[in-house]
Amino acid sequence: MAHLAKAQNPPKIGKKRKWKGDGAWAYAFIAVALVVYAMFTAYPVVSAFIISFQEYRPLGSVFIGFDNYVNTFKDSLFWKSITNTVVYTALTVPVSLFLSFAVAIMILPFKKGLQTTFKAVYYLPAVASGVALSVVWLWIFDPMTTGILNQLLSVFGIANQNWLGSSATAMFSLVLMAWLSSHGTSIIIYLAALLGIDTSYYEAADLDGASFFQKLWYIVIPCLKPTTLFLLVTGVIGSFQVFQNAYLMTGGGPDNATTMVGLLIFDNAFKYFEFGKAAAQSLILTVIIAGISLIQFKFLGNDVEY
Amino acid sequence: MKRKTHVLTSLLAFSMLLTTLTACGPKSNEGGGANAAKAGNGEAKDTITALLPPVSGEFQNNFAQMEKDFNALYPNLTLKIEPASWEDMTQKLDTQVNAGSPPDIAFIGSDGISKYVQQGMLMDITETATPEMIADFDPAPLEYMKKGEGLYGFPAYMEVHALGGNKEYLEAAGIDWKNVQKNGWTYEEFREAIKKGVVKEGNTTKRYGFVFATAGVTAKDYLNILIKNAGMPAAFDKDLKYAYTSKNFLEVLKAIRQLIDDGSMPKELSSVDAGKRWNMFLTGQTMITGKGLATFENSAKKNNEKLKANDGSAVQGSIPVEYIVLPVPTFLGEEPISSTVVDGYVTFRGKKEPTAEHKANVVKAAYFLASGKVAATTNNDLFAAHITKSGREAAKSMTVDRNPDNVAAVETMLSHANPARPDIPVDLGAKAIKIEDAVIIPKLQALLANEITPEEMYEAVKAEAIGTFGQDGIVND
Repeated sequence: MAHLAKAQNPPKIGKKRKWKGDGAWAYAFIAVALVVYAMFTAYPVVSAFIISFQEYRPLGSVFIGFDNYVNTFKDSLFWKSITNTVVYTALTVPVSLFLSFAVAIMILPFKKGLQTTFKAVYYLPAVASGVALSVVWLWIFDPMTTGILNQLLSVFGIANQNWLGSSATAMFSLVLMAWLSSHGTSIIIYLAALLGIDTSYYEAADLDGASFFQKLWYIVIPCLKPTTLFLLVTGVIGSFQVFQNAYLMTGGGPDNATTMVGLLIFDNAFKYFEFGKAAAQSLILTVIIAGISLIQFKFLGNDVEY
Repeated sequence: MKRKTHVLTSLLAFSMLLTTLTACGPKSNEGGGANAAKAGNGEAKDTITALLPPVSGEFQNNFAQMEKDFNALYPNLTLKIEPASWEDMTQKLDTQVNAGSPPDIAFIGSDGISKYVQQGMLMDITETATPEMIADFDPAPLEYMKKGEGLYGFPAYMEVHALGGNKEYLEAAGIDWKNVQKNGWTYEEFREAIKKGVVKEGNTTKRYGFVFATAGVTAKDYLNILIKNAGMPAAFDKDLKYAYTSKNFLEVLKAIRQLIDDGSMPKELSSVDAGKRWNMFLTGQTMITGKGLATFENSAKKNNEKLKANDGSAVQGSIPVEYIVLPVPTFLGEEPISSTVVDGYVTFRGKKEPTAEHKANVVKAAYFLASGKVAATTNNDLFAAHITKSGREAAKSMTVDRNPDNVAAVETMLSHANPARPDIPVDLGAKAIKIEDAVIIPKLQALLANEITPEEMYEAVKAEAIGTFGQDGIVND
C-alpha cells in the first residue's frame, strides 16, 4: 500500500536537484539531440513554411502572400499528380501488406536459421541502392523484343510492350516494381509480431479442432492488428512521398502519366527554381498525409491495443 | 569513474555536433572573393573555384596539371577545381547557387545561362574581359554566352547536332552519303532513304533505318533539331513572337509520326534512350542514329579497335562500324539551319558583390580554361572544332585521327549554324522553357507512343502558347 501511495504521489523534485548530478547530465545529452533536431528537422520545416509565402531568390526573396497556394490549387498538373499518387498508393500498399503478411506466415514455421536466411534474402533489396535496382528494372522493362519481360510474354504469343513509354502500361510497370520488391522491412516486422503471439492461443484452438484458416482469422489477424495498422500508416505515408522510382524509371512520363506529387515538387524546386511553389506543395502534401493518417487511426485504430 | 564516463560521453556527443555544424558553415568563397586583393592590389593572393564535369575522356585527369599551369602563369592565383560527374553536375551547381554560394566558374551549356541570369547569380564580365581575350574567340559561339547586353563566360566548343550513319549499310541501301554530306537532303529524300535501310525477317525487324534517342527529356533534342530545319531556328521569331504555333511545326509533328508508321523507326521509340540507340547502332540494329556528335566517330573507332584486339570490353554483340556524319534533313523547302550546342565556362557571383580584383581573376581563370592548350587538348579529345585562335595554334602540334569527309561535313554544317539569340528577354525565354517542359515534351512522348495525333499535340501547344503569350504574342500563319 505504501509503495502504491508513493507511486501515486511522487515526491517533487526540487529545481536545484534538477540541475545537479544525473539530472544535469541528462539535460546535456538531450541538448545534443535537441540541437540536431532543431537544425535539421524543425528549422527546415519552419523555413519551408516561410518560403511558401515567398518568391524565393538567393539574393533576396519577395513576399507574395498566398499566391503559391492559389497557383498550386489552380494547377491541373498538381491534381493529376495527386490522382497518380493516390492510384499508385491504392494499388501498391494493400498488395504489399498482403504479400509481406503471406511471406511472414510461410517463413514462421521454419527453424531459426532458415528463418534468418529468408529474412536476409527478402531484406536484401532494402540494402541495395535504389538506383542499381532501377537499372535492373529498366533492363526488365526493355521495350524491344529482346527485353526480359517481353521475351516472357512472347512465349504466350503476346507482342512486345512499350512498358515505360506508353500511358497504358507505365503506371502498371511502376506498381509491378513495387509489388515485387522492398517487402523486407514489413516481413521482419510481421514476423516479430507473429513470434510475439502467445502459443497458448494456438494450443486452445487446436484443442477445439480449429483449422489453419480459422486460426489465421480468429487469432493471427486480430493479434496483428496493431502491426498492420502501423505498416498501413507508414506504407501510405511512404507511398505518398514516392519519388525515386518515377524519377529514375519514367521521369514522370509519358504525358505525365506517372508524375507523382513528390516528383512534381522536386521538379518545381530543382528544375524551375520555384522553391516557394515547391514548399507550398510540400505543406499541402503534409496536410493530406496527416488527414489520411488520422482517418486510418479513427477507423482502424479503435480497438487496437498498444 | 561515473563522472569521467559522463564527461567523456558528453565530449564525444558535442564533438559530433560541432562536426555536423561545421559542414553548415559558410564557404570561404561565399563573399565572391573574400580572400581577394583586400588591399586593392591586383597582385594580391586569390583563389578561384571551378566546378567541372568530365567534359572529355581525359579532362578530369588533367585537373592537377591545369591547376599547376594556371599557378605558373599567375603565381598569386590559385585555381581550385572541384570535379563533378555529368549526372550530378546540375544538381550540385543548383544547390550551391540556391544557397547563394556557387563556384566562381562552372562548366554548363549556354542554354542554362538564362535561368541563372534570372536569379541574378551570374557575373557579367563584359567590362572585365580584355579586348585581346574577346578577339581570341570566334564571334558565333561567343554570342551564345551573352544574354541581353551581358557576357557571362567564355565558350569551350561549338558542336553540331547531326546524325550518324553506318557507312556499310548506307552504301548497301544505295545512299550517296558523300553527296548528302555536301548538299544535304530533304525530308522526302531522307524518308525514302531510311525505308531502304530497314531489314526484316518475317514480321520481325532486324535493322531499322533510323533510331533517335527520345526517352524522357531527350525527346526535346529530336524535335529541336528537326524544327530548326523547318524555318523555326528559335522559340521566338525576329519579332519575338512564339514560333511553335506555325503550321510548319504541325508538319514536323506529322513527319515524326510518319517515320514510325513507315516502320523505318521502332514503334517503341519513346523508350529508346541515348545508351540504347548507341548500342543499337554499334550492334547493327540501325543504319542511322541520332543525335550524332563528332566525338561519336571516336567512340566507334575505339570499339572497332577493341573488336580487332578481341578485347572483352567491346560492346557486346557489336560489329565494326565506320561512322559517317550526316546532316539533318530540311523540311518544306526551308534553308538548313544546324542545331548547335555551345557549352562553356560560366562565371558566377556569390551573395556579396565580388570585388573588381576577384572579378578580373575569375575572368583570367575562365579564359585560361577556354583557350590555348587546355581548349586544344579538350576539343581534340572530343573531335570538336576549335573556336579560339590560341586553341587552333596550340592544336597544330597535336595529331587527331579523323575521317576527313566527316571533318568537312561538320564544317559545312557549322557554316549554317543556328545563330545565338541574346535578344530574347530572359522572362520570355523562361516562359518558353516552361511550355517546353510542361506541354511539348509530355505531348511529344504521347505522340511517339501513338497515344495522340500530331494535330492534338499542335493544338495543345498552341492553346498553352496563347494562354502564356496572348493571341498577338504567337506566330499565326
